[in-house]
Amino acid sequence: MIARAWSFLRRNFALLFVAAVFAWSVFAIVSYRKVGMPPGAKIQLRIGHWQLEAGVREAFDRLAEEYRRLHPEVSIVQDAIPESSYGTWMTTQLMGGTAPDMIEVGSGLPYNVLLGYHSRYFVPLTPYVNEPNPYNRGTPLEGVPWQKTYKDGMRGSYVGELTQYMTVPLAQFGIRVFYNRNLLRKLTGLDEAPHDYRAFIRVCETIRGRSDEQGRPYTPITSSGYHAGMWDGFMCAPLTYGAVRRVDFNRDGAVGSDELFVGFKTGQIGFDFPPYEARFRMLRELTDQFQTGFTGLGRDEAVFLFAQQRAVFITTGTWDAGSLVEQARGVFEVGIMDFPAPARDDPEFGAIVQGPVYENPSAAFAFAITRTSRYPEVALDFLRFLGSRGWNQELNRIIGWIPAIQGASVSPLVKAFEPHLEGVFGAFPVDGLGGETGIKWGQQFSLFQVHQTDYKQMVAEFLPFYLTRGVEELAELHRNRRRGVRGDEQFVAGVRARAMAGSGEEAVARWSGYRGMTAGRLFSRNLGAAQLQTRLDAGVVTNAVGPYEFSPEVVARVRARLAGGDREVR
Amino acid sequence: MAAVAILAVCAGCGIGRSGEGSAGERLDRGWDRYRLGEFSLALKDFEAVAQSAQPGSSNHLAALYAQATTWNLRRPDEDTARAERLYRQVIALAPTNDLAAWSWLALARRKSVPVGGETPPLQPQVEAYQEVIDRFPFHLAGEEAFLHQQAARLEQPDEARTREVLAALETFLRTHPQSPWRGAAYGLVEHCCAMLGLREQRVDAVFQAWRAAEAETTNRTSNLSWTYWKIATLAEFETGDFTMAREYYRKFIAEYPTEQRVFLAKQELKRMDELEERIRGQEQP
Repeated sequence: MIARAWSFLRRNFALLFVAAVFAWSVFAIVSYRKVGMPPGAKIQLRIGHWQLEAGVREAFDRLAEEYRRLHPEVSIVQDAIPESSYGTWMTTQLMGGTAPDMIEVGSGLPYNVLLGYHSRYFVPLTPYVNEPNPYNRGTPLEGVPWQKTYKDGMRGSYVGELTQYMTVPLAQFGIRVFYNRNLLRKLTGLDEAPHDYRAFIRVCETIRGRSDEQGRPYTPITSSGYHAGMWDGFMCAPLTYGAVRRVDFNRDGAVGSDELFVGFKTGQIGFDFPPYEARFRMLRELTDQFQTGFTGLGRDEAVFLFAQQRAVFITTGTWDAGSLVEQARGVFEVGIMDFPAPARDDPEFGAIVQGPVYENPSAAFAFAITRTSRYPEVALDFLRFLGSRGWNQELNRIIGWIPAIQGASVSPLVKAFEPHLEGVFGAFPVDGLGGETGIKWGQQFSLFQVHQTDYKQMVAEFLPFYLTRGVEELAELHRNRRRGVRGDEQFVAGVRARAMAGSGEEAVARWSGYRGMTAGRLFSRNLGAAQLQTRLDAGVVTNAVGPYEFSPEVVARVRARLAGGDREVR
Repeated sequence: MAAVAILAVCAGCGIGRSGEGSAGERLDRGWDRYRLGEFSLALKDFEAVAQSAQPGSSNHLAALYAQATTWNLRRPDEDTARAERLYRQVIALAPTNDLAAWSWLALARRKSVPVGGETPPLQPQVEAYQEVIDRFPFHLAGEEAFLHQQAARLEQPDEARTREVLAALETFLRTHPQSPWRGAAYGLVEHCCAMLGLREQRVDAVFQAWRAAEAETTNRTSNLSWTYWKIATLAEFETGDFTMAREYYRKFIAEYPTEQRVFLAKQELKRMDELEERIRGQEQP
């Protein structure tokens, strides 16, 4: 008997092994799903995300508890997955039909793949974002469409290709300057770091001249390859905003790399443009305050210098705020401030600066509802709960992030991170035209950052190459735009098929979407490029009217209207 | 025993169920797969429907058209010769069917595929589109062909050609008062006006495109920031109509307060005031 059983086991070992693993998997999945069902709960919702930072899981647990007070039949369980494997995890869960009811979207997958997932696995939310959020009842947002209660109007949730809102965002992020208050006081006698650029640089110079008991000099600003871009992006690059008026030829409010090149070729702009020169002067003044060799350092090395109290200032985002404060707890006090800006009367930059720096308020930490959810309406209700003014405030208070909903108050720690919704932005995309000019610029810019070249030399090395090689790169940019027509054609054919399959109002909406996409992606695809090419072919025009300048004809019209007593309400 | 186990596992995994569903369901599933880039699976669905459907029936035509589209547009492994045969099969089976019109348009679009990123020759494109226009002058596909034809002509800028295109578009708008493509046609009119320096007409075209889009849209959340911005800047810098410019900058600021261009819009409101002040100052005795 035993011999027969042994023989059977040997003959069918592989199959039995597979069967055992299968049985174990079923048991594991079923028992895992039962975990956390509190007494009285009938519905279990799962929410998947990659936020392993301190506070996030605690915040979800706390809010789940609050939600359960209102809906005792619902319990919420989290699947917190490391960011490095999130994309793979999400893919297997979605494809296997075992995805959580709500899943964070935005990391680990290329956009085109994510687009397919949106279409296949997630529930479109457009009808719901146009309805008021019931959890805003009793607040000033009562009766306001949910979408309009967001600081960014849920801009990032809209998937243009699908013409649908697909996600519910729950937080905003920002970048600011952190400083060691104790060290600042010790080295400069100041309690607060100055917000004025000139005073800030003076303070940095003072810090640079001080040494500790062992004769080691202090570093004013600890930086790295990771941090340098933030300083540049928030302080120096916005000085170039004035270029919009010169070379935003299509008047879309921003300068494209193709427009900038045509501007250079036609003499509308050059490296002698004062805002461009100013950007690099400021960058030089700022990098003088960084530690030597900062470009070769990583993020952690810069943070280490700050934590060791060898440097006074560092920049980073809301995502690091909690851990920086935690590292400093009991050792020194952390101050958070906006990036210093030149005053209007600053002798060097005052005339260049036109306003504060604009920060895109786009909300993130966004969740979609999966089509496999057994309770999509409950999942939606939970997201409404999290996306209401009061509870979104509470969620972000616990985590230490910025609420995404209007009027939600911000914790003192992140108060300084509230985005500036009006202001200037950079307009010097010189590295975006093509590969070779981009590399050349990168090389020259790196040398500039480490003082191995100055602005004049950098321009002398780069400009001739840019003006000659750029012609071919612009042509290649246009060719690439044309090559993209195949992808768009494939996409709109799918949209058209969906429209053909629809009926009633749904079909009307789908056909409307199809026509919008066909017009935007196919009819007018190359027309802007054709206009720009015409301008380039015309060559240098020294008396050309800039896109935001009043032509003599316009001035004459205004003059005539004013002379005619045409009354106008301002 | 092993066979039973395998069958059980297969049943658990759902293998063997992919062939289920009506012809309509299989077509829908095939298009879903197409949209997800799973072209081979899509083709299996389409081929199965084509084989099982009555020749010439609507499902048969739909399956042939779907196969043609997939072979035409799939990347990689496209087979444009097979696609063309399938499109022509649809046309031969039902020359006046909707799908025949779309098949003709697909054949014409083949002439617009850039080779190596270069603009394809204009004349073959114009002729191919003209064939669709002549056969289906009031069909969605024929009207789309007309607009592709004009867009192709505008891609190779030339003043005389731009004037011809503008005239053709104006005729289209006159003779197709109910066309849902009117918004797109006005978009091309606006481009012509920009190229020809027809400032007032350009602003009017933007308004007409907006009205046409509004008339047909069901999307209550459509974003008008670009339309407002365009009208405001055209009125300010092209026609000098500061009343209109102010109105649309203000709408833009009020409705899209977190938009990147709000600061620029406020600067422009101020600049218009300053220009008028300067002019008034100059004209005082």
